[in-house]
Amino acid sequence: MEMIRGLTSGVEIVIASGKGGVGKSTISASLAIILKRRGFKLVAADADAEAPNLNLVLGETVWDSIEPYYEGRYAYIVDEKCIKCGECLKACPFDAISVVNGRYVVNKLICEGCYTCSFVCPTKAIRFVRDIIAGHVRVKYRTRYGFPLVSGEITPGRPNSGKLVTEVKNKAKKIGGPDSYVLVDAAAGIGCQVISSLAGAYMVIMVAEPTLASFSDLRRIYKLTRHFGIPAALIVNKADLNPEYTDTIKKWAIENKVDYLGSIPYDEKVAHAIAEMKPVIEYYPDTPASKALYKIGGKVASILSNLEEWRLKYLPEKIEPFIPIVIKPS
Amino acid sequence: MPRRIAFVTDKGGLDDRIYERFGRAPTFTIVEVGDNGEILSVRVVENPGFKAGSGAGIKAVQKLINEGVEVVIGPNPGPNAYLALQQAGIKSVSMLGVTVREALERFLHSQ
Repeated sequence: MEMIRGLTSGVEIVIASGKGGVGKSTISASLAIILKRRGFKLVAADADAEAPNLNLVLGETVWDSIEPYYEGRYAYIVDEKCIKCGECLKACPFDAISVVNGRYVVNKLICEGCYTCSFVCPTKAIRFVRDIIAGHVRVKYRTRYGFPLVSGEITPGRPNSGKLVTEVKNKAKKIGGPDSYVLVDAAAGIGCQVISSLAGAYMVIMVAEPTLASFSDLRRIYKLTRHFGIPAALIVNKADLNPEYTDTIKKWAIENKVDYLGSIPYDEKVAHAIAEMKPVIEYYPDTPASKALYKIGGKVASILSNLEEWRLKYLPEKIEPFIPIVIKPS
Repeated sequence: MPRRIAFVTDKGGLDDRIYERFGRAPTFTIVEVGDNGEILSVRVVENPGFKAGSGAGIKAVQKLINEGVEVVIGPNPGPNAYLALQQAGIKSVSMLGVTVREALERFLHSQ
């Protein structure tokens, strides 16, 4: 593949980890504040729609705008047409159909909208409700730290999708304008919404903790960055809990063309700050974790000041496609 | 033989810039190029993946297949789209930060 890249508009920086609970939102909030204070124009975007909490770390619970997000469909059965043959109940791959008080009904929280029931229904008794409200895009135009925050939130039971993440990122870009950075706090995992977070990103900051589980998930998210051809950096959080393993991860990073930005020590003050709904660098500026965050924030700031140069240095040498497993019908 | 080349775009057209993401790009700009590299036609088509809840990459590739495209120029497609392009025999060329016109020139020059 031929790679030509030049700076376009709305530079996306994504914080991702694979494993959950390693400190993505804490680090995202602190980095956003540090970068803002250093004069960078930025918008923070919470792309973890299943469990959005960047706003909680930033102490923001009141939104300026909440827009509905429409997506998906679910089936319902028209009683007058239903002959109670039970074909739909047998065919539904999600067991979403049951008999309640003699009526065939679809559980809309389980229904995936796959149309199987409508194919087998002999009397065409099945209809679909479309464009249901599957979540919200929430905006705070100016957080108490000066930058805007856009946050996606999925309705419980609705299928999650990269479409909501796309809407969150596009909203953030629109609010920030072409000369703004968008700092994306991605979800855990490597699924649809994380892929959507990474698509179009300029830089990925990966976060790990020195555990086997985190390192394993880190390598999975790293594989995605190689697929998309995005240069990656790494922060090891809670590093002193297992210094030898931190060294192992650091060594891996250097061998795999990942920019090691530094480590953050385990610090109980971080949990206290979260409980107070204040970023740790704000609440305990002199605690060891905050000092480490300031140091890393400084590094990120200097990277952003010479982003093209940094990108050339850490761009993957070649694209390594992440080929999904193909399930062929037997 | 004229060839059809698709570009991943926002509003579409020769002066639009290549859009940063593949499956959820709003449009494809399809350019038909003659044997001597001359532009025969330019069409902007909607990408069904743009509004898709899931399977955006696959829907985007299906559109390119239906349009009889040989080459698609844009960002790196996601894992599912990558595989679908491979199976459909559509060549994917990665280029960003340029307009459709510039991307076409670079691509034809590299041939």
